[in-house]
Amino acid sequence: MSADFAAHHRERVGAQAWRRALTSAFRCVLALIGIAIIVQAFIVVQARPQDLITGVHGMADLIRRAMPPDFSQLPSTFWPTLQTIDIALFGTLVGIVIALPLALLAASNMTPSRSVYYAARGIIGFTRAVPDLVWALLFVTAVGLGPFPGGLALGVHSVGMLGRLFAETIEQMDMAPIHALELTGARRIQVFSHGIIPSILPSLLGITLYRLDENIRSSLVLGFVGAGGIGFQLLTAMNLFQYQEVSLLLIIIFVIVLGAERISAELRQRLA
Amino acid sequence: MLRVRKLSLRYPNGKLALSDFDLAVAAGEFVVVLGGNGSGKTTLLRCVTRTVKPSDGEIWLGKTDLCALEGEKLRCARLALAMIWQHASLVRRRSVLSNVASGALGRNFGLRTALGGLPKAELEAARGYLAEVGLASLADQRAGTLSGGQAQRVAIARALAQRPQVLLADEPVASLDPEAAEEIMRLLQRLARLENIAVVCVLHQVELAYAYADRVVGIRDGRMVFDLPRGEVSREAVHRLYLPEAA
Repeated sequence: MSADFAAHHRERVGAQAWRRALTSAFRCVLALIGIAIIVQAFIVVQARPQDLITGVHGMADLIRRAMPPDFSQLPSTFWPTLQTIDIALFGTLVGIVIALPLALLAASNMTPSRSVYYAARGIIGFTRAVPDLVWALLFVTAVGLGPFPGGLALGVHSVGMLGRLFAETIEQMDMAPIHALELTGARRIQVFSHGIIPSILPSLLGITLYRLDENIRSSLVLGFVGAGGIGFQLLTAMNLFQYQEVSLLLIIIFVIVLGAERISAELRQRLA
Repeated sequence: MLRVRKLSLRYPNGKLALSDFDLAVAAGEFVVVLGGNGSGKTTLLRCVTRTVKPSDGEIWLGKTDLCALEGEKLRCARLALAMIWQHASLVRRRSVLSNVASGALGRNFGLRTALGGLPKAELEAARGYLAEVGLASLADQRAGTLSGGQAQRVAIARALAQRPQVLLADEPVASLDPEAAEEIMRLLQRLARLENIAVVCVLHQVELAYAYADRVVGIRDGRMVFDLPRGEVSREAVHRLYLPEAA
């Protein structure tokens, strides 16, 4: 009996040792794969840290030429700045108007049928998957240079971003008050305006403010592809080597981004 | 007022949730339905509101057979049928007054109500219903700030705003303390008498049924076991409703 027990014990100890060895080997392989992934990333991007050191001189020269910022250009930056903010505002508004009904169709607890659900989710996914810069290039081709293609690009991209978040908010909504309203004999539109909207409005406003903040950042870059705003002016100044104007524009961009972020955060906190 | 005849509901999995159920509730009558978990009490109410379609039988609301209606006709018929649940199901971010007045949406359709507004007359009437449930002072408060008992009374006021002929209550006191539960039951009893509403209330609290109901209906395995005036319902008969299957 005791011989059997000893044999069984030896077997168990042996199996445990094997398991430990296998686990260690597996961890080593995982670590090697992780290192390989990191190394290939450095190779693919042709990372040359030494260039950063040798490039410090050029960078310092650029900063020297950009200083002091050319504040005499301040009045001429007013219009592009306003354009940048308005592109973001326009894009966000277009996004809300299209995203809200789309989100209702794309929310599993509201959609009239599965096919509509998948169609709405498909549109949301597609508009989100294509970056706003690509949309801007497409719209510049379609409607020409200026702030309008920028606004359209942000609008279409916002449909995807807002649509997904709106749909998720609707799906997480407490349905009991909605069913209660339905049973009072209220019509669908009344259930929507009296039940659904008041229940999710704070969340929707919070998401929208966050999106507006994001769109302001994006609208700064859209100018690089000819979609108007301060980005376009920044690109022009860089091409003309007017680095003092570039530094002024960077200061303005910094103020806009920081201001939008603070205002958005403050308003969202009040809504919570 | 409300007549249920030979009502049956069989789920797609073959389970019989209600079987040949008959019930008649007159205007001003307060009927309590007792039964164990899964006995078919809530299913009965869901069939009456037509949230689920019965497999067989008739549900007469006055002279209208609800089982024969669909779509817009069913919506119109539902106006006479109010429902309150275990949880008040209020829109938490709206005011108490708006929640109450929203009970009248079914008979007020126009641009204002479609856009989230409410007619002034209905808001005024809602103040009256709130006074009736003793919460006039909370009219402008957000519904989300109310206690369980207060929220349930607001749900009753909302049901009143619907001006129903029949009020269905699915365990309306299940999540309330004994004092609040008594208050709600007193209120339902008073409404049945004063407003001449037929009230059907599903309960688990046997003592509340003995204290407030005009009639008590016992249900087990989807079948009616008894339907008697409260004075004639024996403790033993009620006890048998809750016995395990094998007993």
